[in-house]
Amino acid sequence: MTPAGTTRILLADDHGLVRRGVRLILDSDPGLTVVAEAGDGAEAVAVARDQEIDLAVLDVAMPRMTGLQAAREISRGRSRPRILMLSMYDNEQYFFESLRAGASGYVLKSVADQDLVEACHAAMRGESFLYPGAMSALVRNYLERVRRGERVPAKVLTPREDEVLKLVAEGSSSKEIAEILTISLKTVERHRANMLQKLGMRDRTELTRYAIRAGLIEP
Amino acid sequence: MNSFSRLPLYWRVCLINGMVFVVGTAALAISPATVSPRVLVSEAVVLTIGLSVILVLNSLLLRTSLAPLDRLIRLMESVDMRHPGQRLPEAGSGAVSHLVRSFNAMLERLETERGRSNAMALAAKEAERHRIAQELHDEVGQGLTVVLLGLKRAVDRAPDEIAEELRLVQETARSSLDEVRDVARRLRPGVLEDLGLLSALSALATDLSTHSGVHVRRGFAPGLPGLTPETELVIYRVAQEALTNAARHANADTVELSLSKQGDGVALLVADNGRGLGSRPEGAGIRGMRERALLVDGELNVGPRIGGGTEVRLVLPVRAKP
Repeated sequence: MTPAGTTRILLADDHGLVRRGVRLILDSDPGLTVVAEAGDGAEAVAVARDQEIDLAVLDVAMPRMTGLQAAREISRGRSRPRILMLSMYDNEQYFFESLRAGASGYVLKSVADQDLVEACHAAMRGESFLYPGAMSALVRNYLERVRRGERVPAKVLTPREDEVLKLVAEGSSSKEIAEILTISLKTVERHRANMLQKLGMRDRTELTRYAIRAGLIEP
Repeated sequence: MNSFSRLPLYWRVCLINGMVFVVGTAALAISPATVSPRVLVSEAVVLTIGLSVILVLNSLLLRTSLAPLDRLIRLMESVDMRHPGQRLPEAGSGAVSHLVRSFNAMLERLETERGRSNAMALAAKEAERHRIAQELHDEVGQGLTVVLLGLKRAVDRAPDEIAEELRLVQETARSSLDEVRDVARRLRPGVLEDLGLLSALSALATDLSTHSGVHVRRGFAPGLPGLTPETELVIYRVAQEALTNAARHANADTVELSLSKQGDGVALLVADNGRGLGSRPEGAGIRGMRERALLVDGELNVGPRIGGGTEVRLVLPVRAKP
């Protein structure tokens, strides 16, 4: 029996030890609980069909059915849980492909210990979770389009958000930005969130649309 | 003269020598010249001149016959398989020119063979890279992920003085994981296998823009025919090499990267607006691209782009997916 209000998670990764590690991290958060595990994509799809879950955390590369294929199946299903991809690849093509497959976030394994819990909460709030590399790729592309004089619909950014934007484009992490601008990490995160909202990159649908329009992925 | 030049080399040398002797003997017989039992100085002079004339005549005649042979020997000594296309002129129809033609044909065969074996070596190298990348990713990568996740739990529960130390270990594990991932990616583009050629080419374009500031204009035609994994890998590697060249050597600021249908096949075009090839000889990069193209019966052309810059075009026939 899971207490009301906790997020019921399906965890799929073909590596048993990784699964165990991720599970311990997720279960240590009071709002999250892993209710099912799967060792490959096909198993994950079957579990998502048979069991009530709120969130599926899927490894991108799995045997039998990759995480991306599984995400596509699961998001087409009846219960439509939120989906997060867990991946080794720091490559925005995987990220966009994940969004297109129906996932709302993409977490790199190398920062899973820091980001995963936050990404789960963001997914449950209906927001997309952008890993740092994807964020700077998107922002760089945005800046290039502005420089080339393309009309890019965006609400006006405050000077502070503009500063954050440029630092993000240069690949600085939130922590580095906080140090450079001598503001708190929380403030940086808030600026980033506002910035994304104004650029029209807040949720999965907006982001996918932006990426296709900007030619970052094929339609 | 024509029937003479068709004679085997041995008979030609005999004939030339014979002719010279006949001329010499005839001169001796017809002319009033005689040799005393004790050779006089004047006679010796005449003899010496006669002998010299014979020798010079002989050498001149032989030389015209054997000169192509010398040229052949010189080419044989200097031929460098790394610069294909060196051939001798195949004029004439004699024995020597027959030899020249055979030699040219042999060079041709050697070059093709060399290209093929290089292509095989490339294929073997790719397969090996694939295996290593896979193992790095599946074994080392996953192992480090487990370490990282475990450390996170340990840090959370450790007393302060140990937590600080653990955090350092954690960061080391994190950067090792990033490194393993990058090495695996350089060895083998996972995007190509997982997401297909167009995504992989897009990723290349984004990588180039990010790391060198070169703007890449992409143009991928819709409805491209299905390609075999080998063909896709060749297209990917050629695009990778051509893009790297454009950024590194050509000083280009814009590169066009396109993939389109051409007849029954597909054509990859990488055109930059850099300073062009000039008269520099083909480097290892272009040779490598040629060898890869050969692997899937493709044709690679590298030339100047209209309006300045360099254009790399790879045309590949399409074979049905197995």
